[in-house]
Amino acid sequence: MAKPTIAFFKFSSCAGCQLNVLNLEPVLLDIVGAVDIRYFVMAKRENFEGPYDIGFVEGAVTSPRELMELKKIREECKILVAQGACACHGGIPSVKNFSGMTQREMEEKVYTELWDLKSFPAHGIDYYVKVDAYLKGCPMDKDEFVMLVKSALKGLNPLFRYHSVCNECKLKENNCLVLTKGIPCMGTVTAAGCGAQCPSLGRACEGCRGPASDCNAASLARTFIDLGLSRDDVVRKFRKYAGNTPEFSKGAEAV
Amino acid sequence: MEAYILPKAELGNFVAALKKDNEVLGPVAKGDEYVFAPIEDVEALCLDYDTTILPPAKKFIHMPGEVLYEFEGVVEGKTPEKVGKRVLFGVHACDLNGLLSLDKVFLETYPDPYYKARRENTAIVALNCVSPCSDGFCASFNTGPSADIGFDLCLTDLGDRYMVEVGSNKGREMVKGLNAASNEDFIARNRSLRVAQQQITRRIDADNLGVLLHQNYDHPVWREVKEECLACGSCTSVCPTCYCFGVKDYVDLTLEKGERQRFWDSCMFYEFSRVAMDHIFVPDRETRIKQRMYHKLTYYQQQFEAPGCVGCGRCVTTCIKRIDPVEIVAKIQADPKPEKEVKLYTPPEKKVKPELDPWEPQKAVIKSIKQQTPDVRTYTFAFVDPEVQEAYTYDPGVFNMISVFGVGESAISISSCADLKGVFQHTIRAVGNVTNALAELKEGDIVGIRGPFGFGWPVEEMKGKDVLLVAGGIGLAPLRPVIKYIQARRNEYGKFEILYGCRTPEGMLFTDEYDEWRKIPDTRLHLTVDLVPPGCEWGHCIGVVTTLFNKISVDKANTVVLTCGPDIMMKFVVLDLLKRGWSPEQIYVSLERRMSCGIKKCGNCQMGPVFVCQDGPVFRYADIMDLPGGVF
Ligand code: SF4
Ligand code: SF4
Ligand code: SF4
Ligand code: SF4
Ligand code: FES
Repeated sequence: MAKPTIAFFKFSSCAGCQLNVLNLEPVLLDIVGAVDIRYFVMAKRENFEGPYDIGFVEGAVTSPRELMELKKIREECKILVAQGACACHGGIPSVKNFSGMTQREMEEKVYTELWDLKSFPAHGIDYYVKVDAYLKGCPMDKDEFVMLVKSALKGLNPLFRYHSVCNECKLKENNCLVLTKGIPCMGTVTAAGCGAQCPSLGRACEGCRGPASDCNAASLARTFIDLGLSRDDVVRKFRKYAGNTPEFSKGAEAV
Repeated sequence: MEAYILPKAELGNFVAALKKDNEVLGPVAKGDEYVFAPIEDVEALCLDYDTTILPPAKKFIHMPGEVLYEFEGVVEGKTPEKVGKRVLFGVHACDLNGLLSLDKVFLETYPDPYYKARRENTAIVALNCVSPCSDGFCASFNTGPSADIGFDLCLTDLGDRYMVEVGSNKGREMVKGLNAASNEDFIARNRSLRVAQQQITRRIDADNLGVLLHQNYDHPVWREVKEECLACGSCTSVCPTCYCFGVKDYVDLTLEKGERQRFWDSCMFYEFSRVAMDHIFVPDRETRIKQRMYHKLTYYQQQFEAPGCVGCGRCVTTCIKRIDPVEIVAKIQADPKPEKEVKLYTPPEKKVKPELDPWEPQKAVIKSIKQQTPDVRTYTFAFVDPEVQEAYTYDPGVFNMISVFGVGESAISISSCADLKGVFQHTIRAVGNVTNALAELKEGDIVGIRGPFGFGWPVEEMKGKDVLLVAGGIGLAPLRPVIKYIQARRNEYGKFEILYGCRTPEGMLFTDEYDEWRKIPDTRLHLTVDLVPPGCEWGHCIGVVTTLFNKISVDKANTVVLTCGPDIMMKFVVLDLLKRGWSPEQIYVSLERRMSCGIKKCGNCQMGPVFVCQDGPVFRYADIMDLPGGVF
């Protein structure tokens, strides 16, 4: 059987997810052995046209050019994977959607040359095309990436579990930041899969993986207010990585 | 009571002596909290701890995750790894009782070899609470503050010394060389434990709690809790009696080699009841919350005759929203809504075939595959080991756990009747990971089989009566064994009628057997479909399966109804029959739930107090219709 062909694409994002793919040692060589990477501009000099079996898309879509490319990519890829918070939910680029500024005002704030610039609100790629699988997180989790590749090779649904980060935090017996330090951690409403990385280092979960499957953001927003956060701070918490999602929007709108 | 005195100054030596032959696990500080961990330095031992983040016995005996099987292509068995001797040192009474409740789950109904090995190698040194923790309410259930049973040793802090009670021969060995306790020591111990008991002010009135909760399933308090609860599941992770786990296969990049693992899971999670096609059996948070609370406060007792809550208080301490069983019960008691008389569910007598290792699948080879519909196939299997095949027998309506290694395991009913010798059959629709992988297999390929599990159709009670089968779609598969069974014993049963409905004629199963079924004396087969695609020939009824009820001729007063199909179909079948004056006593349903073990351990299949895997999958409707939350 021919090796499945794989492609990596990037839109509005920091390339951190792609970098994470390259950081996959020691399994990187095994992966390269199992698949045929046909398109990966960041890592390869020679890149080939589609079609591909699996396409990984990093980044939010925020311009007509990106949208056009995305649609072409969708047609070229049998399995399309949203890779990282930006492609899944809009990610950091989507912060602008809630800035209260017009698109033009924001363009002017960031760029000096505006003549060929055309942008619109930033969204994850499933806002526009059908997505077959998601690799959540900023950046995406390396283990999940490998698991997804294996599942795709075997033709399986990876059955990722998106219950709350607290579960992973509890299994590590971390001191809960909310309970012991009053730190506004987003872990309760955020999809697990990162191994509770931030709380394990004593830092609040920022919600980069987006809403957990049963997300009660409104209740957590009330807790944040009780912890002394301002209304604006609470809104910023829920609009940071996945503010586009209806689940986190409920948190931002609850206070 | 046999007791000794351990001066506090001697504690270090005592623990050091234990460490010679054992790994000693005890409470140590972690930040402002405590955890049980291997004791390297006796100085680190904090015996004045209030509670630990995870309960010690669950952490070290149930274990958050472990490998059940290693495989390469087809199964390679893995025997439980030999654990060295260990001592859990300083276990509070609540946690000890939590362990005793876990024992009921893991050591009865197919003892779990992995748990058992660790359990037997772990000595328990309990520690009575002389200054109880603030969130606990152990006194409500007699599970604290002092330990009565289940320990090898039990310590009580008497200021400058510990009193050490002996609970077993193992314990007696450990106290060699200590002086016996005096009368004054006993008096001091009893006094401080009495004071401790009085300090516990949080309380649940445990009398009749099951009935009270059952009657208040729709109490407004549950909606309040639903609004607050973050669904984080921490309450279950930290609960000493929560046993639920999931099972998943992991492969390396060869895609052949890997291991089957189990990991703690929680009924608070949305995906806990997820099956193929992303169907969720418990789709709303309020029901999930009630599953947890009711399980802790009543179901567990009904299922295992052991407390499901030992009042350790962890679920409250760990909950950012401080959702508190004590408060919830108090609210219900303050404003109870005892609308109806209720009877608590009691599980049927156990029916267990003792096996050596309940996790070890037997290899079975695919003898033949027959395409039934575009996505349904009937597989004929035979165990590779002829002795296993020879001894293999099963009742109509029970199921096997079928493994495709590297993909997973799935509970699937047996579609043949045990009268068929030398082989057995499963009729399987390709809908999820395992069943899709099965669809890729060919004759001669090997799968893993565990089973048979559960209770099947009541073929004994049915004797002498008329029988009405009502099947929908793939639901005919678990009923086919009944047809074969009755066919082979025709004169033992009365009139026999089979009603079968499908979405389209193309979806009908076993079509080549209908003629044979029709030839069974005094037997009628009625077919119906929801819709007939253009160009398709169909000479039978059109409409849902209940429309066939107008055609039946069995004697209502003397008939047993067996029904199987999608939940929604069975719901309408049951409703319709009840409306027509049939009784819930004469209706049997076969239920489907997520199943990860088949042996009453993983908890995935729980429906209120019911384990669908071991109490069912076939139930008399009358036995389950009054479950809190209902059936369908
Ligand atoms: S620190 Fe955050 S992730 Fe961890 S348990 Fe607390 S809220 Fe949950
Ligand atoms: S710990 Fe509290 S908030 Fe979290 S799931 Fe349990 S009851 Fe809900
Ligand atoms: S339900 Fe709560 S109080 Fe009861 S044993 Fe579990 S964690 Fe402890
Ligand atoms: S069903 Fe019971 S044992 Fe299982 S996680 Fe829920 S509360 Fe715990
Ligand atoms: S308890 Fe595991 S399937 Fe029923």
